Amino acid sequence: MSGISRRGFLAAAVIGGASTLVGTPTRGWSANSFDGYPEGMGVLVDLTRCVGCRSCEAACNHEQGLPEPDLPFDDMSVFDQTFHHGTQKRRTDENAYTVVNRYEPEEGGAPVYRKIQCNHCNEPACLTSCFVNAYTKTQEGAVIYDSKVCVGCRNCMVACPFRIPAYAYSSALNPVVRKCIFCYDTRLSQGRPPACVEICPQEVLTFGYRRDLLKTAHDRIRTDPERYIDHVYGEKEVGGTAWLYISAVPFEELGFDTSLQREPILANAQDFLSNVPMVLAIWPALFMGFHRLSTKGKEREEESQSFDREEG
Amino acid sequence: MVRNWIWVIVSVLAMIFTSPGMSRSGDTRMPSLVVIDALSHLFDAAEFDHDLHLDFAESCSECHHHTTGTDVTDGRCLPCHDGSEALDTVACGKCHVAQPFSAEYLRKRQVEGSFYHIDKPGLKAAYHLNCLQCHMEMGGPEGCQDCHTRNETGEAFYYSGRFMPAGKQSGDGH
Amino acid sequence: MKGLLENGYRPIDSLQKSPGGRRWTFTEKMLLGLSPREYLNQVLRNPLNWVFAAVFAVGVPLILYRYLFGLGAVTHSSNDYPWGLFLGFGLFVMVPLSASGFLLGTTVELFGRKDFKPIERLALLNGLLGYFFAVVYLMVDLGQPWRLPYPMFVSWGTAAVLFLVGWHVATYLSVQIMEVSESFFEWVNWPNARAYIKRITIGLTVAGIILSTLHQGALGALFTYAPGKVHPLWYSENYLWIFYFCSSVFAGLCMVIVVSTVVKRTMAWRCDRNFLDNLDRITLGLAKGASMALVTYLVIKLIGIAHDNEWAYLATGWGRWFLLELLLGVITPIILFSVAIRRNMVGLIRFTAFLTVLGIVLNRLNTALIAFNWNLYQEIPHLFEAMISVTLFCVYLVTYRFILYRLPVLYAWQSVPDEVYAVELERGLIPGQELVPAPAYQRIEDSP
Repeated sequence: MSGISRRGFLAAAVIGGASTLVGTPTRGWSANSFDGYPEGMGVLVDLTRCVGCRSCEAACNHEQGLPEPDLPFDDMSVFDQTFHHGTQKRRTDENAYTVVNRYEPEEGGAPVYRKIQCNHCNEPACLTSCFVNAYTKTQEGAVIYDSKVCVGCRNCMVACPFRIPAYAYSSALNPVVRKCIFCYDTRLSQGRPPACVEICPQEVLTFGYRRDLLKTAHDRIRTDPERYIDHVYGEKEVGGTAWLYISAVPFEELGFDTSLQREPILANAQDFLSNVPMVLAIWPALFMGFHRLSTKGKEREEESQSFDREEG
Repeated sequence: MVRNWIWVIVSVLAMIFTSPGMSRSGDTRMPSLVVIDALSHLFDAAEFDHDLHLDFAESCSECHHHTTGTDVTDGRCLPCHDGSEALDTVACGKCHVAQPFSAEYLRKRQVEGSFYHIDKPGLKAAYHLNCLQCHMEMGGPEGCQDCHTRNETGEAFYYSGRFMPAGKQSGDGH
Repeated sequence: MKGLLENGYRPIDSLQKSPGGRRWTFTEKMLLGLSPREYLNQVLRNPLNWVFAAVFAVGVPLILYRYLFGLGAVTHSSNDYPWGLFLGFGLFVMVPLSASGFLLGTTVELFGRKDFKPIERLALLNGLLGYFFAVVYLMVDLGQPWRLPYPMFVSWGTAAVLFLVGWHVATYLSVQIMEVSESFFEWVNWPNARAYIKRITIGLTVAGIILSTLHQGALGALFTYAPGKVHPLWYSENYLWIFYFCSSVFAGLCMVIVVSTVVKRTMAWRCDRNFLDNLDRITLGLAKGASMALVTYLVIKLIGIAHDNEWAYLATGWGRWFLLELLLGVITPIILFSVAIRRNMVGLIRFTAFLTVLGIVLNRLNTALIAFNWNLYQEIPHLFEAMISVTLFCVYLVTYRFILYRLPVLYAWQSVPDEVYAVELERGLIPGQELVPAPAYQRIEDSP
């Protein structure tokens, strides 16, 4: 009996051990509170300045080599477009990494324009949910994506709290995730601001070190408290994002999700992930113990009746 | 619309009473016309009629902050610049750099550090923020091409005019 | 099959064609001992096969269409709803319904409950096929399915729950193939390979529990990446993985009850006495296990609501939908099971098991699709998406049936040496002429 059990235990231990190897690095990665790289860049978006000229959309289109749009970039009728029975405004997709939408504030007044694109989280959910590590948070602050290893499970899209990554569903042979990469390849890595920032006439988009931008954001709110609501969106949301927003209108009226957690999305999975090594370590001994207890005495008898002896 | 008409009338009147080439005030340092061609890759140069705008501004400092020696109106400048002397040069481009986000400029600001002027827009934004804000308040023209006409590259950039996406419709086609 | 049986057809259940005679060839075994013409006739006579043919006639071209023109052509998967039916049903439903393998493996091999032995192999096969087809669904859904081995060999995303799911499903699939291969080795008569598997059974079973605990839970933990998107009632940061693990227990057990019921009704000829005679008793036992898991699940679901203080949501429309799911899939089964177990009503147990399976289907679809993006807009899957899902499910059923017809899953393989066979035959211990064989030398350990 013991022979069989030892073998069995070893087999379990080997498989368990192998999976432990696989499971353990998880802990290292999920070490808490990564506040972003110190030299990480960011963009401060001052929503009070945007006039909805859509130049950023055009600049992005050219910089990223995206296909021709359906409508010209100076066509403002896109602001009236709605989708899914009028519930949704335009969003990013495989042909547009950034999109400007118009909102009418509840208390009246001039419309507010809001540009959406990847917010380049400090601890991105897309990155931590990707099982082939296709995403990288670069030191410059960009969240970039390696289409060469992407399997196409689209978990990143499920995980992104801002619903940014889009998938090239139309492609049969090489469908990949498409999203804003902070112009990493062509600009950011060479110390230049992204194309949208550069084209923006109003400096709605201020490019700089994220830590400086935070100061600037709070400074603008402090010096003009009448103008701004006291919240820098992206400072704390899901662990902080490289793109920060200040606004005169409450964020929830502009389609921002203000119910987001403070912790990075990965924190939610940590409860489970932290149990993985424990299960791997405890289960073999526990269940072998149960096995021994519940089959004690029966084993010998069974052995003698065993069928495979005759065969073996 | 009505505002625009008023604007046109005012402009015409202003032109009648000003002699081109020299500033109305007689101050030779003051340009009567400023040609802005920073966006020449997409737009024809904008011709800013400085003299014309003298009629709308109550004080030079409305646009020039504390640099002209006139009474400072921007509350953010007051603590330091109340009663400041006029500077040698007051051109926008003197303080507002053309490339506010270049690596060199950002690094320079990192190294120097500063408590003041830390949120200074670049030249392009300085123009647009200042001009457009006022145009909106005063009912001046607000469209991009009211000030600078797009050139061929600009049309291509916006997929506009003859670069309009094929088979698609748009509000401002030709 | 009925006609054949009436004409004295006796399914293959041993090595030799006749006692002490020549052995079945592989082709004969594949054809169930029938001549090619008989086999074909038998296939054509079965109306179910015509249904399958009709489904495949539509579905297979659609699958080709999907690979030629991309996911966008056949699904409503979108940037807001990245996952549709292929994963919502194929992965998130098939996997819990396949927990049967590790559950009965544990019961029989680890806890030594040999009284469940007759159904162990069916449970193992159910597990293997469920997982295998979950992967098949995945292959249809992945944008670049040819890169499926990437998380194993090319690039490791070790922080991802899906990485864990991928590795564990892959490992567990291998474990299950080994477990099920025992019957395959009997069938092809590789006694040494079979003996080897037999020797490492305990190890495989323990590995099965570990891997199952983790990836059943991991499927739940996947949704902790989407806290705002899954409705709070279906979401629990702390407990979602435990909900998924716990519900996989009764899901797996009830799936075995459902499958064994179908098997008993449609292919009794393939089952041996040992299986048929013990099925009612085993069903009762499985139901007891399932109801314990159901009660536990109900309790922890309530704890989950209390923990996140989500009572207020119960009063909303989503709350009613949530309660309906609990009522149909958990509370009603608990009541029905308890009545049926007390009164020995096997028929009611079978009905209840079916209901519980539906409840699990609803729960997983709710989390992955229906209550997903609850504050955005509702997405209805594309018709083609549903048709491909049904097609794949039919492939699953055909494969299931194909294996059950052949491998000794529902019956015991009689692979005793020829001499023994001859002796036993001489002593009149083998009632060779019976349609359903119940030989005396059948595995003694099997009898209750």
